[in-house]
Amino acid sequence: MGGYFFRQARQNLNQNPWMNAITLGTITLSFLILGVFLVIFLNAKGLMEEWGSRIRVTAYLTDSVSNEGINRLQEKIRDFREVREVRYRSKDEALKALEERLKGRQGLLKGLPRNPLPGSLEIQLKPEYQNSLGVQRLVEKLRGAPEVEDLQFGAEWVERFSAFMELLEVLGLGLGGLFFLATIFVISSTIRLNIFARREEIEIMRFVGATGLFIRAPFYIEGILQGFMGACLALAMLFAFFQLFSTKVYDPLKDLLGNFPVHFLTMEQMAAMALGGLALGLLGTQVSVGRYLRV
Amino acid sequence: MIEMVHVNKAYDASPQALSDITLEVEKGKFVYLIGPSGAGKTTLLKLLYAADRPTKGEIRVNGFDVVRLKSREIPYLRRSLGVVFQGYKLLSHRTAFENVAFALEVLGGRRREVLKKTTQALHLVGLERKGNCLPSQLSAGEQQRVAIARAIVNEPLLILADEPTGNIDLGATEEIMRLFDEINFRGATVVLATHNDRLPLMLPKERIVLERGRMVENTMFKPPVFG
Repeated sequence: MGGYFFRQARQNLNQNPWMNAITLGTITLSFLILGVFLVIFLNAKGLMEEWGSRIRVTAYLTDSVSNEGINRLQEKIRDFREVREVRYRSKDEALKALEERLKGRQGLLKGLPRNPLPGSLEIQLKPEYQNSLGVQRLVEKLRGAPEVEDLQFGAEWVERFSAFMELLEVLGLGLGGLFFLATIFVISSTIRLNIFARREEIEIMRFVGATGLFIRAPFYIEGILQGFMGACLALAMLFAFFQLFSTKVYDPLKDLLGNFPVHFLTMEQMAAMALGGLALGLLGTQVSVGRYLRV
Repeated sequence: MIEMVHVNKAYDASPQALSDITLEVEKGKFVYLIGPSGAGKTTLLKLLYAADRPTKGEIRVNGFDVVRLKSREIPYLRRSLGVVFQGYKLLSHRTAFENVAFALEVLGGRRREVLKKTTQALHLVGLERKGNCLPSQLSAGEQQRVAIARAIVNEPLLILADEPTGNIDLGATEEIMRLFDEINFRGATVVLATHNDRLPLMLPKERIVLERGRMVENTMFKPPVFG
């Protein structure tokens, strides 16, 4: 019996090959565009999280502050709830780091009468405060301290980046919604045409006593197959594009772009997309069957 | 087999398509449903296979209470009967064999059984050699015989035929009528609607005559008993 359903579904698909090819193409394209978007979005999000973890506040200390003063301040800061870790960097350490960086040109530093670099506290934030608001709140608390000469923090780009991510998210949802509707529309149109093409057969099926489920099942199988195949095809193409992008565009420019890692969709995300195709196929079929194939 | 009690059917365009029809057809009978076109023959048949519902009255077919039948139960009523139409209603892109087999396939029949029963039905209608022909390659009489084979392939208790000889010449009509007689002889009840009064002369059987939605003659008449 299952064999019969699939035979029927295949017959439907064969009956109008161009129509079905166009449907499949449209579904594939929809999923492909969504997939490209998803890959960009997820990578950008990953990058954002990665950068977020590097957010830190540096408090440069006045030269006059004593060792006890530094310890006291360090303890105080450690108790702030935004703070995960505080590390002291002495004037000497700062100078040594600078020397490291100027390797081969240390001579530049030779003539200095004294170490001009300040000591500093490097403060790392807890993950939940690694955003511009968290940074600002911490900075407010530190600003009044007499031991602190200057503060350095880079929150502005974080702000811009998270705004960009939000935009991406809204855009993605909007686009996703549109493609969702378009895919349902395309599938339901194809199924409707197939119902009309087979109306004689359907009439005879009714006369000889085929159940409603039996009459509808091939159409559902067809719709589900189209949705599923469209999503899978899109995934395959997406993967090919991704590979092409990785090897031809990303790898040569890797160092220039900051060497951040790029990822393809995870197995779960791919499975979700394929299942999404299946679900859209089901929905699209339901629209037409519900309207044109009342049994 | 068939019982109708005070059945009325009204359409917007024809408020008295059928009025107050009460009749009974016993198992194994062969009955003509005679009347000019528009008398209500097709409407009456449609009510019997639940393609339409009566406005009023009770209908019982093969043990099914047709008036109260739920939509999803209709297929089971239809499996207990076979319908033959004037226009054959064959699938043009399928062979004679496939057309007959289709009726079994859509009921979920096993392949082997479908093959066996289809061959038998085509044999009965004398078309075993034309199984591979498309309907367009068959004469009108042959096409109707394929449709009859499809109606009987499931071995129904009741055959409903709506003007089965309407498109067919006299020679082929005789053959079709012999076929219905044979099917009836093998045990199926036959109700055959026609506007052609010569058919009962060709093959004398019981008659119900309809005129403008009313029953004006019933050779089987006896007081109705329902339920």
